[in-house]
Amino acid sequence: MTASKLASRSTLFTLLAGLLLVVLIGWRIAMLGDYTFARIVQDFLNALTLGSLYALIALGYTMVYGIIRLINFAHGEIFMLGSYFAFYAMTLTPMHWGLALLITVLLGGTVLLVLRSLFNLEEPKRTAALALLIFAGTFFLLAFRNMGWIEALLLSMLATGVAGVLLEAVAYRPLRGAPRESMLITAIAASFFLQNMGQLLFGPRVQGFNAETILNRPLNFTIGEETVYYTGILIVVPTVTAVLLFVLNLFVSRTKLGKAMRATAQDAEVAQMMGVNVNQVIALTFFIGSILAAAAGVMYAIRFGQIHPLMGLIPGIKAFTAAVIGGIGSLPGAVLGGLLLGFIEIYVVSLFPTLSAYKDVFAFVLLILILLFRPSGLVGEDLTEKV
Amino acid sequence: MRKSLLVAALLLIAGSLGLAQVKIGINLELSGRFAAIGNQTLNGIKVANLQTPEVLGQKVELVICDNETTREGSIACAQRFVNEGVIGVLGAISSSMSIPAAEVLQDAGIIMISTSSTNPQTTQIGDFIFRMAYTDDFQGKLAAAYVVGDLGAKKVAVFRQIDDDYSYGLAGFFDQTAKKLGAKTLIQDFVANTVDFTAQLNNIRSFKPDAIYYSGFCAEGAPFMKQLREQGFAQQVVGADASDDPQCPEGAGAAFDGYIFTGFATPNLIADPAAKKRAEAFKQKYFEVIKNAKPGDFNGFVLAGADSYNVLVAAIKAAGTTDVKAVRDALGNMEHYPGVSGDITYKGTDGTPKDRTIGFYKYEVKSASDWKKIELFGKSTAEVQ
Repeated sequence: MTASKLASRSTLFTLLAGLLLVVLIGWRIAMLGDYTFARIVQDFLNALTLGSLYALIALGYTMVYGIIRLINFAHGEIFMLGSYFAFYAMTLTPMHWGLALLITVLLGGTVLLVLRSLFNLEEPKRTAALALLIFAGTFFLLAFRNMGWIEALLLSMLATGVAGVLLEAVAYRPLRGAPRESMLITAIAASFFLQNMGQLLFGPRVQGFNAETILNRPLNFTIGEETVYYTGILIVVPTVTAVLLFVLNLFVSRTKLGKAMRATAQDAEVAQMMGVNVNQVIALTFFIGSILAAAAGVMYAIRFGQIHPLMGLIPGIKAFTAAVIGGIGSLPGAVLGGLLLGFIEIYVVSLFPTLSAYKDVFAFVLLILILLFRPSGLVGEDLTEKV
Repeated sequence: MRKSLLVAALLLIAGSLGLAQVKIGINLELSGRFAAIGNQTLNGIKVANLQTPEVLGQKVELVICDNETTREGSIACAQRFVNEGVIGVLGAISSSMSIPAAEVLQDAGIIMISTSSTNPQTTQIGDFIFRMAYTDDFQGKLAAAYVVGDLGAKKVAVFRQIDDDYSYGLAGFFDQTAKKLGAKTLIQDFVANTVDFTAQLNNIRSFKPDAIYYSGFCAEGAPFMKQLREQGFAQQVVGADASDDPQCPEGAGAAFDGYIFTGFATPNLIADPAAKKRAEAFKQKYFEVIKNAKPGDFNGFVLAGADSYNVLVAAIKAAGTTDVKAVRDALGNMEHYPGVSGDITYKGTDGTPKDRTIGFYKYEVKSASDWKKIELFGKSTAEVQ
């Protein structure tokens, strides 16, 4: 089938889904007089935020799948690590200078090593400048002041990205070339390992993530007599997701590394013959995917106010579903799938309150339908061209 | 040669004396969603074990199994205890984990004492199944009488976790009584691990409730309360004994300020002066033994854990043997056992103690690390019926 035919079909599909949603909302308004415009706006904002969160996690999922055809089940746990790193960055700083120095050396050293291997930093001057920046920056952040959410977010993204690269090096790289099932099972094992390691290291209890940030400040407005309640995060999450989607798309389609990624996705062996360092490209993919997971983890923690070692499980499954619905391997597909999932979860509860316990069932039924009628997802293209 | 034989024989005798142990299984939620209350219950059992380490001249060995707050884990723990041949099992905490374990243990003929399952079904599974808590028909009734009577709510929104035996059952009892007392109710459902409650909250907006009843746990309760306050609901929220968990105020911070809930009574709320004295003494012992315990860590779950151990050991003592059937009969005929959570009588019941006290509490929360639990008042089962 040609690409344009597929594209027109997927547009039709999306249009139909949108139409169905509009009809359902209309029906509900007709049925019940109390579903006011303010409530529609409220539901829409809530759905947009939830959907964008799923989309953010799904982006990382889909990137990794796009390159090495691996469903990285440990992605949810990477997301969990991201929120814990930010949590500790915010609660344990400022720390004693000795401890800060130790962490700086360990963390900064690992980060530097990983970054060097990822970006071929050979020029000594630039490397030295980067090293100085990383070490001084980390030490300054840890030792001198209580970190705010933005610093914590950035530090956590860096640390989680490195953790993702390490995970790939330890768990997946030795299996390069092995049957895909082995990789899949290893991914499940890595997920269990990280969950249990989290319970040991961070404790099994729920921790409050009570960041007093601008993101939690109420920004309510009124429509007519009624108030619509929302906070800063309802703007930030969709914006961050949209920006990241745009930047990632540019990165993959315009840069040299992006080109190497696309080449690796198409055929790793041939790409290697053409001089692409496949291991490096895959590590870079994990780095970017994990950075996205960390961003999502921190946003999720700020939005819902709590973190625990098993928190990655459900969002991980949801994001995987979102990625498959959108067409696994496709970046816009992941965002579309995430948004769709968020909207379904919110609108099932508002339109059919008695069925609200089954909102996940609706999402998974949609997944089955899509797998039946469009196995490559809503915007998934021909299987040979991913990312 | 002869010498070594003698040594071996002596060792054997010493071994058989020293190894004569009574094994008690412990099936608790030590990790996963109910990790905090699971570990509190375990601490209660450990302190009780320290106070009474022996029975019939034999050492009591605690075999601890973590069910990870899953039904499958709870069944696995129960099966492990069947294979190890324990005399009785303490736990689980929640009804959803207790009921599947009870079915396995009843079939195998092993005593089980659920520390804090409150679903009426649990002890009806069979004659080997006991509990330490009251049941939810009582708890739901009391809570509804409080919300509709004392708080004067005409409209109550009820939030229940539909895939949990405890939460679902309790919400039903609350709803029944509230309606009987003339209040209107609107039920909203959610499932385990739900974090986004915005749609449910939007649903109760036009209902304009005077009060909100939450029958779920803290893993979901913390994000629920945070979003409830963010979404502009200032109504009084009343919860149940699953909220008697530090994960609630620690998870959502100031959003829990003013939250009222029912729970297993702490020493101050026990009316019987003798029982109160015992509970106070136990509380002191608890803080001596459990180092780094925060004041908020001592609650009804600790007392329930301790007493489940105490009654089982007392029943073994009364039976004078470690034969499971005889111990079960002794437990079933137990009358007026002086427990740290009050007077315990199993005679003539389905395995639910006759006289239990429910406490009403209120959270005063400044921040996630600065909170306390205010004891409001206690109501005993005998007083209500």
